[in-house]
Amino acid sequence: MKKIVNRLILFSTIFFFTACDKDFVQINTNPYAITAVDPAVLLAGAQRSHIGNWSAEHTIVQQFVTPYNTGANLGFNFNEDVDGVSTPKWDQSYANGPAPGATIKNIVQAMNVLGANSTRVNLMSMLRIWKAQTFMGLVDAYGDVPYFDAGKAVSDNIFYPKYDDDAAIYDDLYKELKAAIAALNPGGDFVSADLFYGTNAQTSTKTGNATEQVAKWKKLGNSLLLRLGMRYSKVNPSKAATIVAEAFAGGVMASNADNAYVKYDGTLYTQADNLVLRNFSQFNYAAEPFVNQLKSTSDPRGKFILANFADPGNVSAEPNPDVNLANMYGVPIGVTDAQITAAGSPYRGARAGGLNYSQMNVWRVASPAAPDFWVTYAQTSLLLAEAAKKGWIPGGDATAKTYYENGITADMVAYTFYPGTTPIPASEITAYINGAAVLYNPTDALKLINTQYWIVNLRNGTEAFANFRRTGFPTLNPNLFNNKLNGGFVRRLSYPDVEASANTTNYSAAAAAIGGDKLTVRVFWDIP
Amino acid sequence: MNSNLPLAFSPGRFRFYLLSLFTFFVSTSLYAQSVTGTVTDGEGKPVAGATITVKNTNRASLTTNMGAFTIAAGGTDVLVITHVGFIEQQISLAGKTSVSIRLIRNDKIQDEVIVTALGMRRQSRKLGYSATNVNPDEMVKNRTINMAESLEGRVAGLNITPPAAGAGSSNQIRLRGQVGFAGADNSPLIVLNGLPLDQGARNAEGAGQQRDRGDNLANINPDDIETMTVLKGSTAAALYGSRAARGAIIITTKSGQKNQGIGVDFTSSYTTSEALNFMDEIVQTEYGQGQSGIKFTTAGQIEANGQFGWGAKLDGLPTVNFDGVMRPYSAHPYQLFDYLQNGTNFTNTLGLSGGGSNGSFRTSFSSTDAKGIVPGNKYKRTIFNLGLNHNITKNLKLQLNVNYADEDYINPPQIGTQGDGVVNFFNRMPISTPIEAYNEHAINSVGAEWKTSGFLGTVNNPYYPLQKGQKYKEDRNRLLGTATLRYDITSWLYAQGRFNYDRGTNMAEWYALNGTGAAVLTNNDGTYRGNYNLDNTTTTDINAEFLVGGGKEFKKFSIDASFGGNTLRGEWKNMNQTSSNFTVQDLYSVPNGTVKTQAYNYNKSRINSLYGLAEFGWNRMIYLNFTGRNDWFSVLNPEYNNKFYPSVSGSFVFSELLKNQNWLTYGKFRASWAEVGSIAGVGPYEGVLAYSINQNLFNGQTLAGVNGTTAPNPLLQPFTVTEKELGLELRLFNNRLMLDVAAFEKVTTEQILDVVLSTASGYTGSKQNLASLKNSGLETLIEFKAVQGKDFNWVTSWNNAYLKTEVLEVGTPSGSRLLLYFNGTGNEFLGEIRYTEGLAMNQLYTKTYRKNAKGEIVVGNNGRLLESTGGPVGTGYFPVGSSIPKYTGGWNNTFNYKNLSVGILFDYKFGGTVLTSTLLNMTRQGHSKLSLQGREGGLIFPAVYESSGLPNTTAITVANNGLQTFYTDYRNLQIGDPFTYKSDFIKLRNISLAYNFTDLMKKVDFMKFVKGLTLSASCRNVAIIYKDLPGLDPEAIQSSGDIRAGYENSSLPTTRNYNLTLNVKF
Repeated sequence: MKKIVNRLILFSTIFFFTACDKDFVQINTNPYAITAVDPAVLLAGAQRSHIGNWSAEHTIVQQFVTPYNTGANLGFNFNEDVDGVSTPKWDQSYANGPAPGATIKNIVQAMNVLGANSTRVNLMSMLRIWKAQTFMGLVDAYGDVPYFDAGKAVSDNIFYPKYDDDAAIYDDLYKELKAAIAALNPGGDFVSADLFYGTNAQTSTKTGNATEQVAKWKKLGNSLLLRLGMRYSKVNPSKAATIVAEAFAGGVMASNADNAYVKYDGTLYTQADNLVLRNFSQFNYAAEPFVNQLKSTSDPRGKFILANFADPGNVSAEPNPDVNLANMYGVPIGVTDAQITAAGSPYRGARAGGLNYSQMNVWRVASPAAPDFWVTYAQTSLLLAEAAKKGWIPGGDATAKTYYENGITADMVAYTFYPGTTPIPASEITAYINGAAVLYNPTDALKLINTQYWIVNLRNGTEAFANFRRTGFPTLNPNLFNNKLNGGFVRRLSYPDVEASANTTNYSAAAAAIGGDKLTVRVFWDIP
Repeated sequence: MNSNLPLAFSPGRFRFYLLSLFTFFVSTSLYAQSVTGTVTDGEGKPVAGATITVKNTNRASLTTNMGAFTIAAGGTDVLVITHVGFIEQQISLAGKTSVSIRLIRNDKIQDEVIVTALGMRRQSRKLGYSATNVNPDEMVKNRTINMAESLEGRVAGLNITPPAAGAGSSNQIRLRGQVGFAGADNSPLIVLNGLPLDQGARNAEGAGQQRDRGDNLANINPDDIETMTVLKGSTAAALYGSRAARGAIIITTKSGQKNQGIGVDFTSSYTTSEALNFMDEIVQTEYGQGQSGIKFTTAGQIEANGQFGWGAKLDGLPTVNFDGVMRPYSAHPYQLFDYLQNGTNFTNTLGLSGGGSNGSFRTSFSSTDAKGIVPGNKYKRTIFNLGLNHNITKNLKLQLNVNYADEDYINPPQIGTQGDGVVNFFNRMPISTPIEAYNEHAINSVGAEWKTSGFLGTVNNPYYPLQKGQKYKEDRNRLLGTATLRYDITSWLYAQGRFNYDRGTNMAEWYALNGTGAAVLTNNDGTYRGNYNLDNTTTTDINAEFLVGGGKEFKKFSIDASFGGNTLRGEWKNMNQTSSNFTVQDLYSVPNGTVKTQAYNYNKSRINSLYGLAEFGWNRMIYLNFTGRNDWFSVLNPEYNNKFYPSVSGSFVFSELLKNQNWLTYGKFRASWAEVGSIAGVGPYEGVLAYSINQNLFNGQTLAGVNGTTAPNPLLQPFTVTEKELGLELRLFNNRLMLDVAAFEKVTTEQILDVVLSTASGYTGSKQNLASLKNSGLETLIEFKAVQGKDFNWVTSWNNAYLKTEVLEVGTPSGSRLLLYFNGTGNEFLGEIRYTEGLAMNQLYTKTYRKNAKGEIVVGNNGRLLESTGGPVGTGYFPVGSSIPKYTGGWNNTFNYKNLSVGILFDYKFGGTVLTSTLLNMTRQGHSKLSLQGREGGLIFPAVYESSGLPNTTAITVANNGLQTFYTDYRNLQIGDPFTYKSDFIKLRNISLAYNFTDLMKKVDFMKFVKGLTLSASCRNVAIIYKDLPGLDPEAIQSSGDIRAGYENSSLPTTRNYNLTLNVKF
């Protein structure tokens, strides 16, 4: 007992009269935390991001539809501005994406770690190019967004960033792309972690050294520059022409081996947007305009895109649904499930736990194992076709036709990257290209090219939505479900509600600057 | 065994004590002679509960309500008679066998002894702040699984709200309001025998955490409690420094009494509880499953839209159900209550105590076996408690307390959320499908959950997990040990060392079934759905402290001073493993999964403190008390890691000046000021940016990102609470009337807030020192001994607390800070919670009907609702009230007639607001009475057209989903008008009856060894006398935390509990 008393007294005395915060720094250091990583691995993390939402962008461009207005599903099919539909693009780009997190946050952090004078010029260029791609998507979707101050909560304590003018952001994106492409150095660092072209990229795009990798990133950068230039085609055609020519001269993607895409395995890593289609399948259908496009042209891609399930409410139980294009029917736009199933309705009614309509094929193009195609040769070819048609690059209609057909062919070939598909035979591709409704003709060139762009971007909603607004193609009828959009289309996504609540001052200024945080407001390049 | 056992206590003899326990029952020999007598007071009235001991022995007895006693004594024995409030008397028997004793009241009766901070026992007159003793008998008589619940309505300013969350759930405990915004720990500090504990509520606060798994107060057995003191204010708790911001509850457990002999006490208690149903207030019983006024005709339609009650008028005709079976189309409302069962709780406690001249001990063993009202929910608890005092030498005393609790939480119900959960299911399914259908066809042909509606996944059949074998089990073990050594250096100076050891282990295991919330068992890749989880946490908290103190009187002056130090060393280890994408069906194990994650989490923290107090007294009339404490925190940046907390208080016993006023027995005025603080909310390592690496390679590549979405802030400092208090204590007419009033103002500044950032900053939140708030209030306690008769007496007391909360500053330019918003955690359906400058705390916001300049409600040309725009926060949301009640209190009555004691407690809360998502969901899905408007002939909403200002004439009919869309607009537009209610209530909380059979026992020879026998019965939640919220008990919230305050969504019904308790002492 005495021993214990002595020890207690000793313990107390030693402790309190030496130092009251001795060892505190060491105590407050987590021995198990990762406090430093190679910024290249952050780039890899940032290459998984948000590519566009079935219930948002794809619904606006009438590829996809949710005909149930039962609350949570209510969205663009009913011209409703629902936060849960508009927010994912924003959140997942800026702050809160699929593990390991959002693009912008991680890119900003990687750039901070690298520092301005880093010798890893290629990694820095890749970060800059990928950041530009992400912001281009944000501007296209929302208009004015935080740009110069974005992602800087930790580095600069900017918790409530101000919004920047969308045109000004585009100007800076142009500068960034140009500078980043110029800085790429074949003699510089090889970024093994790069998900698109690095050591662990897909066989088709993998590179083994900095020279090859830099070449690929140059093409990726210039293809993005081409995309950026084309956005100006209405608002400033001469600027568009200049940028497109620069991009073309710089060298854009020339084959599917240049594609910037990310493959998912569907188990450990899933394309999250597709999980929803499977788990709540009775709400989700292919839209009539899209189905009709595929059907009327006997599109060989159709069998991988569409499916009729015996029970639309239970698609995951049926791995071999009917994929015969002739049997496919899309849900008409702006019609409710109640109208469809009402007695004596002109629609196709109910089937098992859902509606008697076609759905996205959750085993193929809408599988959780489907890849994300960010920037592809197919997209690039179709943009070049339009540029050639407009005379911004040389060659006129003949070259435009070639680019057009190359784009279609490249996309069809790329379907082999989806799970469970077989290569589309060349003969079917040729037959399709020569079909009456598809065959290039100078009069309908823009319509044909951009209708294909619509199909090509079935899994890149942001791009499909942007290009539809820019070109007006494909020809779609506005959804007139209610009169909230004044008979027009959704022109942008609305800002997240939490921005209005948390970043009120900057949000209000931005909303005022763009003409109100409304679905009908147009981003700067989208002029009537 | 001879009951004259010498009880000089030493550790070597402890084994002997234990042996005695077993022999005690078989050999109780009674002393040959006995003495009877009566004890009365100065006015000749009997004194109940006086202690009679035979001097120099351990024989003791208590007087009955009649003042009578019997004790084994005789010859030359000397009896010692003691009772609180009276002067001790000794009487020599000198051969007498019958005595009558008249006790003289002690003038110093006012000197109630109160256990204060650091466990120091102090005379009440010296205290300059509010401290309330709680009578442990109340907790024993009004038994609840978690003892905090039985305190509800009993102490002014102590606001307890038990969430309806299943057996063994936590309680919301708030002293003098909510000291910080949500995110801070706002529950009072619990100090158990000197061991400081957080309440540690494991509640259901958000999307990822929907099961309430109790709190640390559940580790304490009410039968073990000797004293309990509520230190309401910061001054009272100031010596706890950074842990004192939220007040403290000081509990000491029993450790026996000296010279009492060996005693055994046994308590057996059985409680049964039934769910209270108020659903008839809101559930419609006229229309069944369907849409557009039409029944469904195929099971497929139900699979798609079965959640809707927009069907035809009930006609009793055979109609298809989700399972394809035809059943009568008739009303089966309130089936939730058919699913629920009666809960039970069986608790037994066996205690053994003893005391000799050198020490005493008490040990107890208690077991609780409880069954919740949700089938499958169980709670088991075993508590072992030991308290021991020993005088090692004349000047050296050892006190040892050990409490070991083993708790099992089995299938705590999922509440407050979508997805699994029985309440969510039955409240959101139409009334035309009988419960048998869900029971008979919970499992479909492939073995997955049978699809009952299009909301499968968010509305899941509870029979599925019940039939397939659910598992959620949390096994918690906690050892709380305190050893105190006190050395009296001189008669006025002592030194004390104390060592506290708190070790908890928690092993949780749970799984999600292969087919739960989905009609299939497998994923696309062919593996089985579901997941399996293991989570093992070990916490160790060590507190070591020393204290040197003393007191001296110099004529009229007195001085007391103490100085001490404490170190708190915490360590937390957590290992968890999840496994999913199973290879084998129905097998939940780690190796069966093809996708696994593992994590080991660890942290360590330390707080070092030095503190002291000095108290000066003059003439037993004026006292001044100063305290100071400095804390150093390891979790903070070294530049800002320490803080000093001072307090000053004083009391003025003015009755000392008015000694000749007979009406005034005692009068004291008190005043205090304190500055305390907290770092609650700052965890170890939070100031440092870290990265996370994805568990599995992505196509062979490592992916990394910044860890989490919270921006680390290395500049955090402790927040500060400054409290002022004035109080008046009066005892009048010889203690017949007692009044205690306290007024306080408590300002919290530089709070540590989880700030919602603009996501464009790259992060969704950050912790910052920001914002201030004020809690002020008035607490009143009046106790009146209404009847003081020979056989009958009645004590009535009323306590009331008025609380005013005000947000002073939130640190945003808009003056408003968002806490929670629609869809913010995936659970909420209605409105926002905000802190807004100038308004009360926890302000609820919703949008409202849009109105024109004339104040008329407007609708669109289609007759549909429009939501408000603009408003104080610019988003169309308007404040509709605070969730925090302004008035809380209780009216307690105790009646004693001879050996019968009856207690009746009413309690109330007024001035709070609640948003009911249950009613919102029932309305949009067509199940509420509200949704009946317009079913026949259409609804013309009373409003004018926004465009023309003319009265609305557009009828919305049920056809074509018209009404459904109309009512769904409430959800989508967030219009809260029909779903905003007051959370006010008055309840007949408790009735208890206790009969003391001790006297009867004394009359039966062979029962004389029984020292006490009491049988009591009680009923808790007897009736709700008044409430505003329809369909639910306004107290039936889903969480004991502050984040979802005022949000009602899918909480369990409140229960009415009937309890029967037997207490025997030998």
